[in-house]
Amino acid sequence: MAKVHEITVWARGVIMDKEGRDVINIFAQAAQMEGKFAQAFDNYEDLPDRVLVTVRKYVRLSDEEIEHKYVYTNDKPEVVVITEATIVKGIDILRGMEKGGTLIINTNRSIDDMLKLIPNANLLGTVATVDADAITGVRTVDFSGSEGGVDTSGIGKGIASPMTGAIAKVTGMIKKENLAKIVSDVSGMERGYNEVKIKKLG
Amino acid sequence: MAKELPGYGTIDVPKDRVVPFGAVTPAPVCQQDLFQTSNWRIVRPVKDDEKCTRCLICYLSCPDACWVYKEEEDVMEWVNNFCKGCQICIQECPSGALTAVPELDFPDGVARLDKPF
Repeated sequence: MAKVHEITVWARGVIMDKEGRDVINIFAQAAQMEGKFAQAFDNYEDLPDRVLVTVRKYVRLSDEEIEHKYVYTNDKPEVVVITEATIVKGIDILRGMEKGGTLIINTNRSIDDMLKLIPNANLLGTVATVDADAITGVRTVDFSGSEGGVDTSGIGKGIASPMTGAIAKVTGMIKKENLAKIVSDVSGMERGYNEVKIKKLG
Repeated sequence: MAKELPGYGTIDVPKDRVVPFGAVTPAPVCQQDLFQTSNWRIVRPVKDDEKCTRCLICYLSCPDACWVYKEEEDVMEWVNNFCKGCQICIQECPSGALTAVPELDFPDGVARLDKPF
């Protein structure tokens, strides 16, 4: 069986639930356009209907069909995406990560300031920050699209577009051209792709 | 003290454990440490003791009882482990003694959990 790449996205309940869900959906769709196999999971274990609670979204990528469909949690995430920077303080976000993983944070603070708040940062191989809040303005507070509803605001409206642009540049798992066909905010995605700051560690 | 319970036979209840019917027993804990919610917050309220008039409106408006009046020192005490950063106290404070400061400005003060719950 080919290697399954696991990507975990952390977001805040209700106020950023749509952003987290858009990141995994855009990522999985862009990977499928390249002929990869992808799974995206949302809203299972964290009860996202509580304001500000930390919630997880999961993506899996593989070159072959992913056979396990019943376990949706990522036990060994390769890439961790933080859509709200304060989450690094309150949760062990790198739990289960093997050495040399990637961390992408939405923040305007410096990479060294963020690394001070992560006690197990020696697991990381790459850290990247992108100021997605500044690129798109305020975050979307939108409940449409959840629980099977129709997403009226468009996929990738808000901070999800620059976040996915940053993920495409840092990980190289998806292509920018495919992202541009999916997201509604193409200029935000391009700015996220160009403005992401990357630091390689040890 | 041996007690006859219908269907269960006789059980021995220690004298200090016997409570009369309808009695109120004290709660086992004052703070439920298994449900710490401090990692929910993005900003935290920071108080200015000079502006604070001890009117207790923050105590009344906090949904999680995170403001406590300390009578001995005559100050309001903030409960770090359970404040979710909802900013209701900041909105309600009549003397403007509370300000919202981003949580990342402080090096510590949040319970770091392995998992969300």
